[in-house]
Amino acid sequence: MGFLDRPRAPRGGQKPSMDHPYVPSFPSTPEDPQTDSSVSLLPHLEAKIRQTHSLAHLLTKYAEQLLQEYVQLQGDPFGLPSFSPPRLPVAGLSAPAPSHAGLPVHERLRLDAAALAALPPLLDAVCRRQAELNPRAPRLLRRLEDAARQARALGAAVEALLAALGAANRGPRAEPPAATASAASATGVFPAKVLGLRVCGLYREWLSRTEGDLGQLLPGGSA
Amino acid sequence: MPAGRRGPAAQSARRPPPLLPLLLLLCVLGAPRAGSGAHTAVISPQDPTLLIGSSLLATCSVHGDPPGATAEGLYWTLNGRRLPPELSRVLNASTLALALANLNGSRQRSGDNLVCHARDGSILAGSCLYVGLPPEKPVNISCWSKNMKDLTCRWTPGAHGETFLHTNYSLKYKLRWYGQDNTCEEYHTVGPHSCHIPKDLALFTPYEIWVEATNRLGSARSDVLTLDILDVVRSPQKQPGYPHSTENTWPGHHPLGSPVTTDPPPDVHVSRVGGLEDQLSVRWVSPPALKDFLFQAKYQIRYRVEDSVDWKVVDDVSNQTSCRLAGLKPGTVYFVQVRCNPFGIYGSKKAGIWSEWSHPTAASTPRSERPGPGGGACEPRGGEPSSGPVRRELKQFLGWLKKHAYCSNLSFRLYDQWRAWMQKSHKTRNQDEGILPSGRRGTARGPAR
Repeated sequence: MGFLDRPRAPRGGQKPSMDHPYVPSFPSTPEDPQTDSSVSLLPHLEAKIRQTHSLAHLLTKYAEQLLQEYVQLQGDPFGLPSFSPPRLPVAGLSAPAPSHAGLPVHERLRLDAAALAALPPLLDAVCRRQAELNPRAPRLLRRLEDAARQARALGAAVEALLAALGAANRGPRAEPPAATASAASATGVFPAKVLGLRVCGLYREWLSRTEGDLGQLLPGGSA
Repeated sequence: MPAGRRGPAAQSARRPPPLLPLLLLLCVLGAPRAGSGAHTAVISPQDPTLLIGSSLLATCSVHGDPPGATAEGLYWTLNGRRLPPELSRVLNASTLALALANLNGSRQRSGDNLVCHARDGSILAGSCLYVGLPPEKPVNISCWSKNMKDLTCRWTPGAHGETFLHTNYSLKYKLRWYGQDNTCEEYHTVGPHSCHIPKDLALFTPYEIWVEATNRLGSARSDVLTLDILDVVRSPQKQPGYPHSTENTWPGHHPLGSPVTTDPPPDVHVSRVGGLEDQLSVRWVSPPALKDFLFQAKYQIRYRVEDSVDWKVVDDVSNQTSCRLAGLKPGTVYFVQVRCNPFGIYGSKKAGIWSEWSHPTAASTPRSERPGPGGGACEPRGGEPSSGPVRRELKQFLGWLKKHAYCSNLSFRLYDQWRAWMQKSHKTRNQDEGILPSGRRGTARGPAR
């Protein structure tokens, strides 16, 4: 059982159970009632978690800006408060489930990493379509390209953290949906705009989710 | 109807969009979801392209599970605004029609969003309208090269400019007598309608250059500009004004072409000429950047009084790098600028474009020592030729003398020396006669040399 599978000790210094091995970071004594085992991380690992959390926080801000720019360039009603398009399902990626918050943190991070891995091809597809619809919007196109790159980077960072914490997926990694010839050419412009909005929205949701889940690994983060 | 070739109207003229793999599995708006209990719809036509002023008849057909979906209660919005009910009509139980007449140009380049809503306001289907005009023929192509290796061109969209549709401009070029069409790739380098060709251009052979404008409603092509790269070399500095001002063309050249120019002359110095109160000496250096291009240059000077906006231009400077301005007001600050026009690049006989003016250089003429009614302005006296017309006439006279009287030693320099001597002599006489200001009245001095 890895670190993340260990039940968290309540604050207040309950001693760790010998049935649940963990990675000690400090030379604490079993008799020390003040030891909080939930924050016994190696310093470099903790630094890595902080770094990844900061990255997720930054990218969440960028995702907000991307979404704002996207809706502005699709024209009304996309930018209107009353606009409520159908939340269309996207192949290979769904929104964070309501039950996500109740999962163990390692499972949440695995789902975050999987979503971050699925996002880049979707963002690339949106970028290609927007290059046709809004060719004179270089900033939007650049944000979409950057978003794909940043999702890959954050996903890789989260997976590295999971590996360091002994909670990485051991099975074969699922590949994102491959490009195939399709009846996509028959898809209209309006649905493509809605789809892009959905993808940008999912990007923001998963970044926000990842930031929250990483935050719980930090000292002081609630379980 | 605007000029230019038109593509098919009322239907999208675009090529099908590129592959979007996720859309294969996506539940697209308009596609029925079996067993879901939800209604969806299809709008027809999808993404039409229309001319401004034309009409559109669209339909929203509802289908779904359970069958028997009704068009009752459906409504349309365009760009988020609900359309008046009188524009809609129920065609049958499941189809609502919309009639729009005299369409205005699209408000957004990505297409105007026409949406069919259910009674509760939920979105059933959407379609994007593209309403605009075909492109006009691009005009006013001008091109220049910074270093005889590259070429930058810019143009103006057709007469009306605004097509309300995204219009793509493509700069094409080819060698006049052989070679294939090439397309410029670096756009918007010096403005929205410009393109830069960085390399692989030939000299001493003409290129044909033109611009093609294309949008959903058609395409248009500019006139062909023919030029030799050698003839359009210019400085990297900004153009002084519109590229086709009349001062920049010469007879016999293609009216759309642009000849050579240079940087303005550097190191312009303006200084007094001894004590001469109506003259300033201007000196400069020929532009170094084109030193290797074996060109000659002619120059032009302009000057103005400090608090005036009127420039006076001295044209006949030829290829000298100095000039003396005369007929100036004493005790006055002047701003002076110089510009250059190259000719004879690589043996070409063609004149070029005047460069930009050099940075203004200021200098002041000496104050007049002679007392006058205002105490400052220098009024001309009898026998003292200081005005411009007199000086011009004198110049002509000296030129004639040199030609016909073999007086090679005569020059303005001699004349100016004589004038300086005259002024000093006049000062000395005034001192002797007690005309000078108080403090110096009555002081006796020897004659001036």
